[in-house]
Amino acid sequence: MKQMEINDYKGRVKPSWCPGCGNHAVLMALKKSMAELNFQTHDTAIVSGIGCSSRFPFFMSTYGFHTIHGRALPVAIGLKQANPDINVIAVGGDGDGLSIGGNHFIHAGRKNPNITYIMMDNEIYALTKGQCSPTSRIGTTTKCNPYAWTADRINPVLMALSFNTSYVARGYSGDIKQLEQIITGALRHKGFAFVHIVSPCVQYNKVSSFEKIKELVRDLPQDHDLEDRVNAMKYAFAPEGLYTGVFYKSERPTYEERFNDVIAKAKSIAGDNYTVKDSMKQFQ
Amino acid sequence: MKDLRIKISGTSGQGIISSGDILSYATTRKGYYVTTYRAFPSEIRGDGKCYYTLRLSEHKALTATGDVDIQVCLDEDTIFECMNNIKQDGILIYDSDLVPDLKQTRNDICIYGIPLLSIAKKAASERSRNMTALGIVVSLLKNLHLEEQILKDIEVRYKLKSQEIIDANKNALNAGVKYANEQLIRKDRYLDAKMTSTGAKLIMSGNEAIGLAAIAAGCRFFSGYPITPATEIMEYLAKELPKFGGKMIQCEDEIAAINYALGASFAGVKSMSATSGPGFSLMQEALGLASMAELPVVIADVQRCGPSTGVPTKTEQSDLFAAMYGTHGDCPKIVLAPMDVADCFYQTINAFNFAEQYQVPVIILSDASLGPRRECVDLIDFDNLKIVNRQKPALKEGDVYNRYEDTTTGISPITCPGDLYGEHVITGLEHTEENAPTPEPDVHRKMTEKRFRKLETAAGQFSKAKTYGSEDASIGIISWGSTSGPVFEAIDKAQEKGIKVQALYPRTLYPVPTDWIKDFVKNKEVVIVIEANYNAQFKSTIVERCTHINRGTEVLEFLKYDGTPFTPEEIYDEIERVAKLQQDKCALSTNKHTHF
Repeated sequence: MKQMEINDYKGRVKPSWCPGCGNHAVLMALKKSMAELNFQTHDTAIVSGIGCSSRFPFFMSTYGFHTIHGRALPVAIGLKQANPDINVIAVGGDGDGLSIGGNHFIHAGRKNPNITYIMMDNEIYALTKGQCSPTSRIGTTTKCNPYAWTADRINPVLMALSFNTSYVARGYSGDIKQLEQIITGALRHKGFAFVHIVSPCVQYNKVSSFEKIKELVRDLPQDHDLEDRVNAMKYAFAPEGLYTGVFYKSERPTYEERFNDVIAKAKSIAGDNYTVKDSMKQFQ
Repeated sequence: MKDLRIKISGTSGQGIISSGDILSYATTRKGYYVTTYRAFPSEIRGDGKCYYTLRLSEHKALTATGDVDIQVCLDEDTIFECMNNIKQDGILIYDSDLVPDLKQTRNDICIYGIPLLSIAKKAASERSRNMTALGIVVSLLKNLHLEEQILKDIEVRYKLKSQEIIDANKNALNAGVKYANEQLIRKDRYLDAKMTSTGAKLIMSGNEAIGLAAIAAGCRFFSGYPITPATEIMEYLAKELPKFGGKMIQCEDEIAAINYALGASFAGVKSMSATSGPGFSLMQEALGLASMAELPVVIADVQRCGPSTGVPTKTEQSDLFAAMYGTHGDCPKIVLAPMDVADCFYQTINAFNFAEQYQVPVIILSDASLGPRRECVDLIDFDNLKIVNRQKPALKEGDVYNRYEDTTTGISPITCPGDLYGEHVITGLEHTEENAPTPEPDVHRKMTEKRFRKLETAAGQFSKAKTYGSEDASIGIISWGSTSGPVFEAIDKAQEKGIKVQALYPRTLYPVPTDWIKDFVKNKEVVIVIEANYNAQFKSTIVERCTHINRGTEVLEFLKYDGTPFTPEEIYDEIERVAKLQQDKCALSTNKHTHF
């Protein structure tokens, strides 16, 4: 097997993100993590929805599926179930994953497919030129809410924890080294790994800029127990700042493993040489 | 006796469907042809009425509708409802424990009031009353020798439940048989009723036929969400797919279901989902993605009355527009409509073959009168089924692979994750041959044409439209899907009465089969388009698409949209009316009509 290097993952299309966009750092961090784990391009698929960050697959040399708005997770899970040997990475933004696609996020957590989901959260719909998203701060003004934004924010890390997601981490586009660590951890993790990345938009979001986020960011304590979900929730809630690092990590059977059990059970009833002609016999 | 109709009716929860199913399996296994029709409410128990009609015959019957020979009523209400639909000299069986004093009667039928409740209670339990009633039928039809086979089928049906349930059902059946043998004074004409067995055949529902065909076609991935009347496809595949190493995944909604299937298809696995109206609406956006990204996928839409929640358990053919045009944008896809249960099998095989070969979504339009209906199907020759797999490119190191290469057929060879040197990105955005997104006008025009070119390539491959009746008829019927049974039966009757009619049943509805229609209407003075929807969806489509052909032919519509399937009588009456008008050289304008 070829030893992969960062440049091997360079896609046919040049990244179309604005200069200074947080997503450039995420792209670099993912390439580094994949090289470290020696992911082969033909064995890897990156699946996204719609939005700035969802253009991601075009900038990679792996297999990719740029789907429709909000549906990265169901496509990624279907792909993984059909061929569990493929490394499957779903990527997208906060609007894609928490608003239009929010329902799938719940069910990915409880099903525990062995895939990684990277959410680049810029607290705004940037591709449509700046409307509020589920993570926008109350009071934010945009062209669609010129007076004030009137809904409270979603806390994606807290959501993931409550959905029984088996790996939950948060990073920040300003710290590419930490990003690489938590993404590598996510790719290594057996089960549904959620990486929430605060990835500022330099064009449409003046509220949550790199500078402002930098002031809020702090590392999770060294002694934080990774299997303590309640404590992880406390850090996710923390009013004092934005904790980054791995909040929670525990292993349980994956969706694929549970289906392997189903298949084994069905095959033990049907036998190894079961054909469609045998299936027909129940109608005879 | 060549033909015998039995109808069991009652209230939801009384075991009408179970007894009907057991009887249809047993009679098939005895070698008779069986066609059924079930109608049931959406409540599991309650006041809703359930009806199960079986038609046994020596030759394959087309419908189960029409007046019945034996009517079994397990409740009071359906007695009065069904009384008038019993043939002259037919039999009515009702529960005299429930209805001690039968108010309505008919002198030209034979009525047996049987204390079903007491017999069932004594032999097993109140709940087994349906089996006691079945026992009475078994005894009435002595010469069909059904008893032993029904006992076997009770075991098959309840083997995963408990011995207790098996015994209760068997005892209740036996008690019914015994009562009728010993205590019933026969006044009916069915004592000597006999039927010739015609050998081994299959019995399955339209939904099961779709499931079985999916497996035969190589489908190993199904994702779905429960919905009446399509769930049975999911249930069958949940049981069978894992035996083949495949998966049936129940999703959080239909949007997830189709997207799971697209993910699996991208992984190179033949995938499908099945749904009904509301779920089909939810799938529209992803169907467009499949069309744009050129991913094979098969969706079975078992139509029910719409719009919205509509009438979930009743039938309609009103999703044709949604199937053809439901997705936004210019969206190439293929829509197939099976005519009966056997055709559900063969059209599903076609659906997978077309999806894989032309890399388009393929929609199978079944409906609530076809999906849950059990009927006999002749044995299937699995060894000679044509199965098509997607075309893969031959790639070696250093090759540049363009996923959307523009070819003369429109078909571009396809790789999937795991294939060396085949890496590519697919997208719902317009894209170049090299799979890069672009808004370029030339590219969008060229690629739209490329995607539609696949349908032109496909057109020659579709299975020919089925015709029925006299070729020299001047009256034509164009129809689709589950109406075939009553239409063919009505044509037979018309033929007997000296009216020549020919029907055309295209199984491919989209792309619109203009050539077959053009050919068919050549010698027709009048064509009646028959379909179960208000908007005359197929008629308006063919009229719109066939403006260049035979302007002399008058096109009428005959529609039904009350949730019940057409009966042969209704269609015959319409044929007779049209024939009369034609004979009188009257204007046909009493019906909404259009010229091609």
